[in-house]
Order: sequence, then structure tokens, then C-alpha cells
Amino acid sequence: MLTDAVVNGITAGSVYALVAVGMTIIFGVLRAINFAHGEFYMLGTFGAWWGIETLDLPYIVSIPLALIIVAAIALAVGVLVMKRLIDQPFQIGIVATLGVSLVLQNVIILIFGGAYKMFDGGWIEPVEILGISLSEQRILIVVAALVIFGLLELMVHRTRFGKTIRAVSQNIEACKVVGVNVPVVVIGTFVLGCTLAALSGVLTAPVTVSLYGGMGTSITVKTFAIIVMGGVGNVSGTLFAAWILGLMESFVASYLGLQFRDAVAFTALIVVLTLLPGGLFSKRERF
Amino acid sequence: MAMTGVNVHGSYIYANPRHGLRAAGFAVLVIALAAAPLVAGDYQLHALIVSMTFLLPALGLNLILGYAGMLSFAQMAFFGIGAYSSALTAMRWGTPFWLNLVVGGLAAGIVAVPLGIPALRLRRYSFVMCTLGFAVIAQTIAKNWISVTRGDLGLSQVPRPRIALWNGGFEITSITSYYYLALVLSVLAVLAFLTLVSSAAGRYMIAIREDETLAASVGTPTWHYRMIAFALSAVFAGVGGSFYVHYFTVISPTVFDPFYANTVLVIVLGGGVGTVGGVVLGSFLFVAVSEALRIAPDLRMIAYGLLLIVIVFACPEGLLPLFIRKIRFGGGTHVP
Repeated sequence: MLTDAVVNGITAGSVYALVAVGMTIIFGVLRAINFAHGEFYMLGTFGAWWGIETLDLPYIVSIPLALIIVAAIALAVGVLVMKRLIDQPFQIGIVATLGVSLVLQNVIILIFGGAYKMFDGGWIEPVEILGISLSEQRILIVVAALVIFGLLELMVHRTRFGKTIRAVSQNIEACKVVGVNVPVVVIGTFVLGCTLAALSGVLTAPVTVSLYGGMGTSITVKTFAIIVMGGVGNVSGTLFAAWILGLMESFVASYLGLQFRDAVAFTALIVVLTLLPGGLFSKRERF
Repeated sequence: MAMTGVNVHGSYIYANPRHGLRAAGFAVLVIALAAAPLVAGDYQLHALIVSMTFLLPALGLNLILGYAGMLSFAQMAFFGIGAYSSALTAMRWGTPFWLNLVVGGLAAGIVAVPLGIPALRLRRYSFVMCTLGFAVIAQTIAKNWISVTRGDLGLSQVPRPRIALWNGGFEITSITSYYYLALVLSVLAVLAFLTLVSSAAGRYMIAIREDETLAASVGTPTWHYRMIAFALSAVFAGVGGSFYVHYFTVISPTVFDPFYANTVLVIVLGGGVGTVGGVVLGSFLFVAVSEALRIAPDLRMIAYGLLLIVIVFACPEGLLPLFIRKIRFGGGTHVP
């Protein structure tokens, strides 16, 4: 039971991490919480499901298909909504992205119906590693999270785009003065963040199996908790905070009962906000 | 500062020539609503009752967002706490309706104080997320405290409102009497709200919304007034929850769903945050929109979403200014 709880916790944490890192970089450049973030996770899952069910594609092909679809949707949302949020007061961002979330969620329900669907794909054969039996898909999720976080760290610190993202996060006015095209950076970051959320959805779908239009909401709220714990804009902090949340949820679900799992994130969030307003890995208050 | 609206209430302190106009408009609306059962059928009356039920938590949100400048998602948590406590009191002791209302409002207000102590230390996003957390945790408690709340089944056969000082009296059963009860409650709530925001406390709240540091520097006890705003917004929501539960006679943990929180947000922002007329307008418009979309329920939430996006960018002060401008032939931008 203990090893199961740890394995489940790390897997769930890796899933949350991929979603949350997107939100944290978006918050960095835009100073806006994306209430629609979980919806892109949901869209990713639906994209792959649609590829498998309707187009008869194998899972491996449906992954890039889903990512391309989500990136296109994110681009549209970025141009129509997110770009307008630059320099707006924070409530505007909350309400606008809440609107985006309602639209995306209910358009999916309108197209595909509100019932639960089964995701049939992925590599769910169990394998034995060090005496622990776990499915290949779970290993893939953890490995993918590690690789992507490595790449993101590299991108944020080494590439020109990453440096621009950090610059816009630090001082948007100065960026405009030196000629950084802020709207382009904002939209680019938004598309990147949303595509990461979608990737997380696609990778998790074979493990969670069921999918439905409203599945993004609980992911969004857990993501809030993670980015606060991890410290906003802190890429590796996000990964550790996500693992901590995944482990806490997994232990609560195993030892206290599944019904208490969804309250863990917010209880942790309220405690962290009260005692450590800068997150677990920083002393500076950022929200 | 577009979201918090124009600072019109500062002008209330002085003699306002439009005060008379406002009072007249309010009176006309109340008389029209009082006469509504003469022409409206049961279905329309039900719709109006629902809109007045949402008016109470919306007034609470308006107080904390429009006057104290804090966006709270805990409104429906307090609505639910009011509903559950009122229902449980009535079911156990058969208390009269006025006492249930008091219990619902007080329970919400009392719970708000310890929640406010950590939450009000936070600003902006942290506060938003913390209050969102209260709603999630309230739902978890309602689902799992089975001995009291009966979990997902919820409470059913909640007593109907009994109008009496203590014993006896009569029970409200017909839709028309429910309607008048809701109307009386709404009028009282709006009057209480107007009294509150035009009092010294209301002016302090506006000062805090506009510039907290400046307000503190001239000696405003900002912490106290933020707490008062938070607790009173909970009382409004709790009273609304109390009426809700005695009207529908059932309550379940779904009341904490984001759907209802979004509805209240749409009402306040859509009507006009920081105004009273706007929230009243928002409540009725919301019901009109959702009834109009009843033929296509799938489209309802999409319409809400689009409405939210359009409102924040196109008319961040809500729809009330547009209405006023229509009536006043392109007059100023000030809003009652």
C-alpha cells in the first residue's frame, strides 16, 4: 500500500506539474491567472480521443494531432482574449478567462455530449521494476515530465525566447522601451503553456480512462494550489510542489478516504498562503 | 480601475440632485413588482422568485467587490452555510421563518470571521484563490459530514416558511405568497445595503478600494472595515441561502458548484459592479437570459461565457450605464 501510494502520488504529481508549469509561465508574462487552463488539458484529452475513435489513428499519432489542435485553439484564444489582458487590472483577467473556460467546456459538451467517454489507447501493460509493478504509461508520464522540465529550464535560461519571457515577467514597460514585441511574447507563451497542459491530458488519458467535458475544472483549481506553493514563475519549484501535492493527495486517498482527496490541494494552499506567502521555495511574496 | 467602476458613491455624501430620481425609480420598480402577480402566471412568478433569491448573494458580492475591492469566490460557500444551518434548525426545532433567516445569516457571518483572519491578510490573486478554496472545502464537508448533512443525498422536505412570532402562525405554500415574501426580503435587503454603503462604514470601504495605503495613512482602520465587508457579504449570502432552502425545500452539496458562483459573478459584473441598481438589473437580466435560453440549455453556459468576455472588454462597468444613458438621452457617465 505504501509503495502504491508513492507511485500513484509521483505519477499524479507529474501530471499536475506539466499543467501547472504552463500556468506559471503564463502568469509570469501576463500577471493573469488563467482560469481556462484546465480546459486545455481537457481539450488535449478530447483531441486524442477524437483521433483514436473517429479517425482510427493509433495512440502515438493521436498525440501530435491533439497537440496541434490545442495549439491552434490556444492561438485563437490568445489573439482574441489574452492579448487584450496586457496592462489590465487583475479582475479583468479572472473574469475573461472564466468566460473562456465556460465557452470551451460547453462547446465540447455541445459537440460530443455530456456523458463520460472511454479512452481506448496507450500502453497500459504492467511491467515489473525493482519489485514494483506499474504500467508502462505511468513510467512514460514521469519520464516525459522530467524531460520536459529539463528542456524548459534550458529554454528559460539559454534561448532568446526564454530570455524574453523572463524579461517580460520582470518589467513589461522596459521591454516595450527596448523594442520587445510584448503581444507576440504573451501569445507565444500562452500557446506554449496551453500545449503543455494538453500534453499532460493526452499522456494521462490512458491511466484515468474516462473523459468528460467538465474534467478540466478540478485540474484548474489544483493548478492554482501548485503554482502558489511552487512560487510563481519558478519552473523547478513547480515540479517539486506538484510532486508534493500528488503525494499528499495519494496518501490522503489511501489512508483517510478518496472523498477527502480534492480538499487536500486547497487546505495546503491556505496553509501555504498564510504561513509562506512566497511559496515553499522562496521568501519573496509574488502574488 | 475599470472593474471597480467609477467612484460615484463619493458624491452621495453631498446633496445629490439625482437622489430623488433614484428613490422614484426604486419606488416605481417596487410597485411594478408588487403588481406583477396580477398579470404574471406561476411560471413567471417562479422565475422572478429565483432572480430575487440570487439578488442576496449578489448584493453581498457587490459589497465586497464593488465597495471593498476584493473579488471573493466564497459567496456561494456562505450561501450554502446559510441554507444548511437554516434548514437544519427548522427541521430539528420547527422554528419560525424569521428565526431561520437570522440563524442562516448569523451562521454565515460567524463562519466568515475566522476564515477572514487568514484570507484578508492576502491581496489580489491570493485572496481570490483562498476564497475559492473555502467553497471547495465547504463542498467537501457537506459531502462527507453525513450524520448532519446526509452527504450527497442532501436534505429534503425542509419545512416551508412559517410566518409567526413563535408558535402557530401560518405556512407559506402558494407561489404568490412566496413571491411577496421574496419581494419583501429583497426590498429590505436593498434598503439595508443602501443604508450601509451610504454610512460612514461604506465610505471607509470605498476609500480602501480606491487606495488602501492612502486610507490607512489618514487613520482608517482598514483591517476592521475589510473584515466588516467580508462578514456582511457573508450575512447577505446566508440570508439568501436561508430563503432559497425554504423555497425549494431541498438542499444538496451541488449548491457549492462553480456554476452558482459564476452566476452570481455574471449578475454583479453584468449589471454593474459598485452600484445597487446594477445588481438588481443584473439579477433580472440573468433570469431573462437563462429563461430565454431554456429552449437551448446547451447554449446557456456558452452564452454566459461569451457574455462575461464581452462585458469585461466592451462595458467593464456593466450594462446599467448603457440603460441609464438610453433613458437620459446621452447624458453623463455617472451611474446611480
